[in-house]
Amino acid sequence: MSSIQPYTYAEATTPASNIPHALLPFLETQSQNTLTRLYQLPSSCLSIFRLLAPLERQLVMNLLWLESAIPASTMAAWVVREGKQQYDAALGNLARIHILPNSTVKLALNSTFKSSFRQAITGGGSSGSFGVPAVLDEKRPPLNVEGLDGYALERWETILHYMVSSGTGQHPTRPSPGVLFLLERSGLMASTYGSPLQITSAGFQFLLHSPHAQLWDLLLQYLHMAEERQMDLVEVLSFLFMLSTMELGREYSTEYLGPSQKAMLEDLRDYGLIWQRKPSSRRFSPTRLATTLTSSSPPLPTMTGTSSGPPEGFIVLETNYRIYAYTDNPLQTAVLNLFVSLKYRFPNLVVGSITRDSVKKALANGISADQIISYLITHAHPQMRKNVPLLPVTVQDQIRLWELERNRLKSQEGYLYTAFASQADYEFVLNYAKELNVVLWESTAKRCFFGTLAGHANIRGFIERRTAGGTM
Amino acid sequence: MDDARGSHLSVLIDLSPTQWHNSAQGPPRNTYPLPLNSFLSQLLAFLNSHIASKHENTLAVFGAFPGKSVMLYSTIDPTNHDQAIDANSYPPFRLVDSTIVTRITEELEALGEPEEEAPSSLVSALIKALCYVNRVTLPSVSTTNNPADGHDPAILPDPRILVLSVSPDLSTSYIPIMNAIFSAQKLKVTIDVCQIYGPDTIFLQQAAHLTGGSYIFLERRDALLQYLIMSFLSPPSIRKILSVPTQDKVDFRAACFCHKNIVDIGFVCSVCLSIFCQPVPVCSTCRTKFPMKTLQRLNASRPLLSSSTSNASRTSPSTPQARTPTALGADTGASTTNGARSSTAPLGGLPHSGSIGNGTPRAANINGSRPGPEAR
Repeated sequence: MSSIQPYTYAEATTPASNIPHALLPFLETQSQNTLTRLYQLPSSCLSIFRLLAPLERQLVMNLLWLESAIPASTMAAWVVREGKQQYDAALGNLARIHILPNSTVKLALNSTFKSSFRQAITGGGSSGSFGVPAVLDEKRPPLNVEGLDGYALERWETILHYMVSSGTGQHPTRPSPGVLFLLERSGLMASTYGSPLQITSAGFQFLLHSPHAQLWDLLLQYLHMAEERQMDLVEVLSFLFMLSTMELGREYSTEYLGPSQKAMLEDLRDYGLIWQRKPSSRRFSPTRLATTLTSSSPPLPTMTGTSSGPPEGFIVLETNYRIYAYTDNPLQTAVLNLFVSLKYRFPNLVVGSITRDSVKKALANGISADQIISYLITHAHPQMRKNVPLLPVTVQDQIRLWELERNRLKSQEGYLYTAFASQADYEFVLNYAKELNVVLWESTAKRCFFGTLAGHANIRGFIERRTAGGTM
Repeated sequence: MDDARGSHLSVLIDLSPTQWHNSAQGPPRNTYPLPLNSFLSQLLAFLNSHIASKHENTLAVFGAFPGKSVMLYSTIDPTNHDQAIDANSYPPFRLVDSTIVTRITEELEALGEPEEEAPSSLVSALIKALCYVNRVTLPSVSTTNNPADGHDPAILPDPRILVLSVSPDLSTSYIPIMNAIFSAQKLKVTIDVCQIYGPDTIFLQQAAHLTGGSYIFLERRDALLQYLIMSFLSPPSIRKILSVPTQDKVDFRAACFCHKNIVDIGFVCSVCLSIFCQPVPVCSTCRTKFPMKTLQRLNASRPLLSSSTSNASRTSPSTPQARTPTALGADTGASTTNGARSSTAPLGGLPHSGSIGNGTPRAANINGSRPGPEAR
């Protein structure tokens, strides 16, 4: 066996921390005015602070309690030489979201951000940005945490289950029109000529993401939509941030919400982020989906639903491609069905195997081999966690090889140049094309070559000039 | 690197009433007086900053009272959860602040006014903090009874302990502190120390040095919060990029086991490594008998040492220059340990403070930055 490993095997501890949070690029596109209005609220400052990378957080903290600007060289003196690059990158990121104005001489936080964030840390003020709690109603006590978790889970799985079973002939519960619209807008589902919605390849990829990433994907789409619906973006964002700082299992009053925020209540209810007794209710409770928005661990209500299996993982994969999934959750079964050919079903167990056909089907749907592997890793049964590497190497390799099979043919558009008058003619044009680096294939025997689309205009011009010159 | 999980911070507060009373005195005594209440408001801002940094960050706070140590707050078992919330503060912050302040007030009132104040039990608080870290990091026991945070608490990355001390060294506590340091090393706990009032403490300096932490003697006490945030808030992964002040000089002196004196030159039992301030015929710890000849030789050489560099030991704390930094005479029975005071500390995983600025003294940058932490 050859000693060269073509790629590294994914380990259980995949470090994925260096990817910035999905919301930050969105914030970067906003105007300074919008952001400054957002920074007026302590809860927004706290939430945005939590989305930053660790180094950026420390930098903000270092500057938070300083009254005046400090020379940039003073701060740079704290940085070790190897970390200079990261430090500069962090400063750049902070400057783009206007927390730390870009300056080579002096460093000082955006004054709005500074005063609001100080207020968030120390408490006090009168912004009410952490949510105004509702007065306890003796007759109608708030839903307890278990109830909220159940509600959020039910809502969320309804959406996912609808996506996964679209086009399979089953008819699960339809989510509300608002959700359907959002799914279509985000390109996760598409309908062709008025037919019912069909899941797209982006949708298949979406299904294999972690719940946290899925949630933010949808919310980002929601934010884009909010701009078009003439909603006040600052209100929308600050409401999301407010939700993320609220306490689970409490009721909050809707009285102090802005008009855009009241309009959001209905949408967020559909996504399972908040719970209301009835649509007209003057109070709402955030669910776990909402209160963990700015934390990076996946503390969504456990996705195994009612099953007795351990919440952290349920999949056992053997070297012979057999897969045992300890679950009775229809959603998880349906997701597995994307790339596994299922054999038996028992009350708490689904057995199947990964075959060439099942993986090819998944690949055809736009799912990549890496996504399959990372899904298997994140949902591996605790028993599997003892193995190093976690997934059998044979299976990992084979899934990747199956993906490579698809890539044996690569298509590229271009033009075939043929029927040259003489060999010299042919070589002259070919040399010109080679200088431009646009030749994809050539055959001296047949006196023809194939050039890319981009190079066509040049080559054609060259030939025309030449023939024109020749006749003259 | 360990982005997905939070980091754990245990804070030890030295709450000796006498020392805090002294600390609050005005200019003739202290250039920067720091009363307890302003200390607490700055500390709470620091604790909130730690919780603010990450949703998953955990916190435990221990108080060292005279003759008693108490756990004041812990994220895992919060005491009074049913407090009212208000719209202007983040509920977890409020919970931390109110719990700590109430508990400290309770404990201080319970102290009454004794005739003589017992020494502050910082060591027992330190050991409690270590036990706590051990408990939360131990995998098997707590998985079942900790369903709240879902994931396995076994992987608590880089737990840290921050000691905020105001008391001088207590030489009787040498052995327990050393034991605590060893367990901290075993648990991979970093111990940071901030000496807020009073003289430098040798033992805590050693604790910080040996566990790769940072020791800071607070010079500008009005800037406490800025010191805390710049030096102690960052978890070890960040300290690799943004350096924190480390010590140029560590006082490595030990306390002898017989009289609990801090010694420059000690005599070490070659069997159990107990330290004595003078040659003894029998080790009091392991009962090893040393040969008479060795004792005579060691005793004879003691007064001579200050002028010679022979390979015998000496005990002359009054002349700290010209010391041989190696342990000698190990073959015969008792050997010597050297204080190695003012020796340059070998660098651990942390950046050296020399890399901060151009070799400026430690924490000089904090002073230079003209900080002004606000009291609430």
